[in-house]
Amino acid sequence: MNDIDRRIALKFIAEYYASAEFNIFQIEKREFGIGLIKKIDARHLAFDSMEGFRKYLLTNTPLFVSHSTAYYEFPAATPIEKKSWFGNDLVFDLDMHSDGKYGVYHKLEEVKQDAIRLVEEFLLTDFGISKKDILYVFSGNRGYHVHVRDKNYLDLCSDERKEIVDYIRGTGLNYENFFDINESGRIIGPRPDEKGHRGRFARAAITMLEKEPVKLSRVFSKDEIRNNFITGVREGNWSRTSIKDIISRLKIVADTLLLSTVNTDAGVTQDLSKLIRVPNSIHGETGLIAKIISDINNFDPLKDAVININKNEAKCIIFTEDVPEIEFANSTFGPFKKDEKKELQLVVAIFFVLKGSASFCSGQ
Amino acid sequence: MSQLEFCIHYPFTSVAKAALEQSGIAISDRIVELALQRIKTALKEGKVAKSSALHDSEKIENIASYAAARMILGFSRNRFLINAYAVAESKRASDYLDGESDEIIDKVAGEFNIKTEEKNGNLLIPVHIYLKYSPRDVHYRLSNRELANGYVKLKSRHEKIRLIEGAIKKHMEKIPLVKSPPESIKIAAEKLKEFLPKIQRQEISFSLASGEVPPCIEKLLDSLKKHENLPHQARWYLAVYLIGRGMPMEEIVSLYSNLPDYNEKITRYQLDHAKKKGYAVPACATILTWGLCCADCKIGSPLNWQKLGKADRESLLKTGRRI
Repeated sequence: MNDIDRRIALKFIAEYYASAEFNIFQIEKREFGIGLIKKIDARHLAFDSMEGFRKYLLTNTPLFVSHSTAYYEFPAATPIEKKSWFGNDLVFDLDMHSDGKYGVYHKLEEVKQDAIRLVEEFLLTDFGISKKDILYVFSGNRGYHVHVRDKNYLDLCSDERKEIVDYIRGTGLNYENFFDINESGRIIGPRPDEKGHRGRFARAAITMLEKEPVKLSRVFSKDEIRNNFITGVREGNWSRTSIKDIISRLKIVADTLLLSTVNTDAGVTQDLSKLIRVPNSIHGETGLIAKIISDINNFDPLKDAVININKNEAKCIIFTEDVPEIEFANSTFGPFKKDEKKELQLVVAIFFVLKGSASFCSGQ
Repeated sequence: MSQLEFCIHYPFTSVAKAALEQSGIAISDRIVELALQRIKTALKEGKVAKSSALHDSEKIENIASYAAARMILGFSRNRFLINAYAVAESKRASDYLDGESDEIIDKVAGEFNIKTEEKNGNLLIPVHIYLKYSPRDVHYRLSNRELANGYVKLKSRHEKIRLIEGAIKKHMEKIPLVKSPPESIKIAAEKLKEFLPKIQRQEISFSLASGEVPPCIEKLLDSLKKHENLPHQARWYLAVYLIGRGMPMEEIVSLYSNLPDYNEKITRYQLDHAKKKGYAVPACATILTWGLCCADCKIGSPLNWQKLGKADRESLLKTGRRI
């Protein structure tokens, strides 16, 4: 990205920040980090108020702005020991890697479904967290963030948070432990009405038997045999089948339970010093809003997270690489070829420029 | 059980603190001496001796020796001594709890806001409390627990006591710093120096420089350095790995002497046993199951770490991801 690209993009982002709505809980207790080149070039910043934060964004507009998932008495102090930590939100980062720069946008729906499962099946049902303490946020690029502000989880340390992530990802889960053989040789296992991993497993097995029975065994394609087995499973009896290795075959069911898009490698949940994109700020690699989502089921990131200002302004860009066709802001764009010039609505032009696929034409 | 008896068993409770204040007992030389004995036994035997006090005055002295021990350790500011003592005191309390009524167990649990519920014959505990106080041991991993509506199902009364033990240990580790105590406390703290691990890390010849070992091993070594207690699987894995890398036995022993519940005889026996058996270093998948994996190295076995390029290694240690 050259200086002209940066200047135009930052001017546009600043205009958005002039009236953007932020919802930063305990802003004065958070550490902030900003990035102009990398995602975080400088950290240990702190703001007393939302006004101060907005003023900073307008005068020093960055491409990226993040805040700590942690709360500190002295968020600007360094080194970190002097900040006086007193807690962290419980935050999950869900994303997906994909081939090419644009492939991931076709998979965002999949990540969204995982985010919904994370909240509905795990956080609300298993962990008993209240809906009012959970915030869905689009990450602004490749996935979703889920913020939990439940005071019970505030002072958990890193290892304790890792246990939560491992539970959700099913790491260390051995589904074979769900089964016992009773005195009469019956396989006794989980019932679909049970809570937690056990019930989830039984329900997933029944769904698979009903929708794709041959995945478990060709035997189950016969209605009578399948229904007889399902009737048993509903009561926790997994013996109503002639298949000898039924338990090991059920591994395929266990694999569907994993929420693999919950990102553990980057340590967002367990690293207490991690900074996370400020909800409703701009992601500097896309120009999209890291949007706070009120209706997750109907949320479409490439429509609902697009900045909605200066709609009539258009700019000319020249593509620096081939770009595939993409649905963006209710329209279809591309495919574009390298060196192709195109006049596009400003927000669309900025998207391609920040993606590193285009530059603004000279003289703008 | 009399109130005083309760206070002797559980000297960290608010009831014990109040009883001590009410008695008006001063931190005399005799109390400091008793406190020193209390800590020494803890360091030598890994457990604080149970009380055999008969008279009320002796009982009060026993409770006061706990308070003085905390002062000595608070003045010493030594992580090894504090953590070792915390392990020993929590084990002592746990031994007492094993034989107590449910009412007494709940009274001690209440000190740490541990509240369990009985529902349909199941013993349930809030998950955040469970996470805070359960040992980081494969048997207690949340993944293999029944969790619903924010509650974890405990398998036995013993598990509840184990969680209370964890809470006591955590409480003991958070000792307030003591700046200018009476002279006798200072002298006692000085006397404890002989219990510190003899061999310091600087004297270790085997190369354990940053970048030489995978992030999971680095993390375990770091925990040792901070005198944190390691679960069984972690100790076993670290030992098998270091033996596999050819680290001399004496140096492994000296590393393990940093553990708060270090016992030279047991450590040597177990290390010799591991070496004799020639156990293979577990695969990364196993390390993950044990909850000890902390980076996405994609190397299959921790022994393949050396085969990674320098840039990948640096990135893994820093971010947990390959470049």
